[in-house]
Amino acid sequence: MNDADVSKQIQQMVRFIRQEAEEKANEISVSAEEEFNIEKLQLVEAEKKKTRQEYERKERQVEIRKKIEYSMQLNASRIKVLQAQDDVISSMKEAASKELLHVSHHHHLTLTHHDHVYRNLLKDLIIQCLLRLKEPSVLLRCRKDDLHLVEHVLDSAAQEYAEKVNVDPPEIIVDNQVYLPPGPHHHNSHDLYCSGGVVLASRDGKIVCENTLDARLDVVFRKKLPEIRNQLFGQVVA
Amino acid sequence: MDPFKGQGGIQMLLIAEQEAQHIVSNARNLRTQRLKQAKDEVEREAAQYRSHMEDEYQKLISENTGSSGSNVKRLEEETDAKIKNLKKSTSKISSEVVDMLLKYVTNIKT
Repeated sequence: MNDADVSKQIQQMVRFIRQEAEEKANEISVSAEEEFNIEKLQLVEAEKKKTRQEYERKERQVEIRKKIEYSMQLNASRIKVLQAQDDVISSMKEAASKELLHVSHHHHLTLTHHDHVYRNLLKDLIIQCLLRLKEPSVLLRCRKDDLHLVEHVLDSAAQEYAEKVNVDPPEIIVDNQVYLPPGPHHHNSHDLYCSGGVVLASRDGKIVCENTLDARLDVVFRKKLPEIRNQLFGQVVA
Repeated sequence: MDPFKGQGGIQMLLIAEQEAQHIVSNARNLRTQRLKQAKDEVEREAAQYRSHMEDEYQKLISENTGSSGSNVKRLEEETDAKIKNLKKSTSKISSEVVDMLLKYVTNIKT
């Protein structure tokens, strides 16, 4: 082998080495680009998924909060309507209660037609209690203001009762020590009050017939409440 | 054989081999760099996407605040209308009811 051949062979080897290196480098570049794209897509997708899930959760929470808020508002609204309903019914009862004063209003020193009406009412209230108690001797309490009217009708009430049930007239003892409270006044609206009527009891005090106008109003009101509500709210869906 | 010539040939081969290593090494470095670049681009795109989602979310919130407000307002109006109707009904039948109650209170069965 001469020098020229040796030199030629070396050049070939050098070219081969470079070519191998460049092929290797190229291979690395290509696979790098593939890895780059795959890696990027995977990571991007993973991040997006995470973000999407996070925001879906947040949006669900917004929806939930929105529903809760509306539900609370709706509930408050319903309560408000129900409260208004109760208020109007209470105001009716109060109006009726105020009217009771007109029923029982009278003057001490003069008897008027109105007094006759209330006086007869008192008599009927007493008779009704006597019919319920069916006692030969009873205690009676009334307002101090009503005392003279009660005393005025006591005998005739006892007599009417006796005739109705065919017994001897009962003894009716009027309590001159303890009276029912007087009618209501604005300045002490929370105190006990009695708008009129009577309370009768058996002598031993065990059986009581409360026939005050206020007690009667309570009973009537409770009994008529469904009817009243139906008139007011029959067409209203609360 | 000229000893210098032989030395030169081997030297050339060694140099070529070093250059080859360099080329491959560069390619590997570029790959590493590229992968890091991938992560950077991912972060940028993820941030972009998140920003977009946040905008949508804030829009949703402001819409909900608006619609929630309008819902509440409508509810209040409905409630007030109901109560107004209620008071109208009450005023119509109030004296009638009071009279009925009083009638029963004062109508005593004996």
